[in-house]
Amino acid sequence: MRRAAYKVEGGKLIKVQLEEKDGKVEKVRITGDFFLHPEDLIEEIERSLVGKALEEHSLASSIEALIKEKGATLLGASPKDIARCILMASEGGC
Amino acid sequence: MVERWRLLDTGLNDAFYNMALDEAITVARSRNLVPNTVRFFRWEPSAVSIGYFQSMEDEVDLAACKRMGVDCVRRVTGGGAVYHDRDGELTYSLVVKEDHRLISRDILETYRVLCSGLVAGLRLLKVPAEFKPINDIVVDGKKISGNAQTRRFGVVHQHGTILRDVNPTLMFTLLKVPSEKIRDKLIKSVEERVTSINRYLGREVSFEELKAALKRGFEEAYRVELVPGNLTEFEERLASKLKAEKYSTREWNFKR
Repeated sequence: MRRAAYKVEGGKLIKVQLEEKDGKVEKVRITGDFFLHPEDLIEEIERSLVGKALEEHSLASSIEALIKEKGATLLGASPKDIARCILMASEGGC
Repeated sequence: MVERWRLLDTGLNDAFYNMALDEAITVARSRNLVPNTVRFFRWEPSAVSIGYFQSMEDEVDLAACKRMGVDCVRRVTGGGAVYHDRDGELTYSLVVKEDHRLISRDILETYRVLCSGLVAGLRLLKVPAEFKPINDIVVDGKKISGNAQTRRFGVVHQHGTILRDVNPTLMFTLLKVPSEKIRDKLIKSVEERVTSINRYLGREVSFEELKAALKRGFEEAYRVELVPGNLTEFEERLASKLKAEKYSTREWNFKR
């Protein structure tokens, strides 16, 4: 399990726990003090990322598309920030 | 005819019941069993609440909480970990139907509007409070109130804290810090960024005085009359059930 934390400038703190396999997300958990409405969409976002390539742009687009599709609101962080934190976990983390 | 809301003061309760009661009132409101509601409450024992998206193990020093008899609970709302001191903090919740004139589809705008009641109440106490997006209330740039909202079943539920008194050292005994080396730095930074009513005014403001000011602030800002009322049997029963089956369970509190 790899971990990373990323403080969004002027925003909130994102933490990621990642398991990866062959350059793809096997399991991811996104925690932090951001806001997402509706809240339980976070579990759906985590599930939707399983099997996706560890590529910052495409992860961000996937998250953004799901948020848009559900008419959800993410505050204090952006899909890009979450994707960046996932990549940070992948590329070193601790 | 001024619109009338219910005002509840549920006094001191444990963290699990407090969070369960917020949900029970939200459910009751969604079924039109109760009017829009403002509730004041406090915590006994003192407690730590974490945001919906946070990890309990990552954020909270569970051993320290246990040692000090502090409860730990996950909120339904996002945001950060909060220490709710029995004697230092007043907590409120607002439960309002989503189709109410005060509620906008825009969440940031709704924070601004709902927080305006707190801002007005604090100003009545001569505390020159201001709203600071996303959802803080500050005095001279220092945080004095944190707020969080969620929307479920067609109802907006916002809760938040008003600091009467603040103790950053105690707070960082209960919350985990990335490393011991920076504990003092974090305490110092909170001391610089956070204030309280008592500290700002240089006098002791009682809970009764604070609640009375906030009541008037809410009434003026929302153009409603707050009528003191009671919990319904439905709410009490549902709150007990939600405490037992949700908020006091490991499954909920450690789910992330």
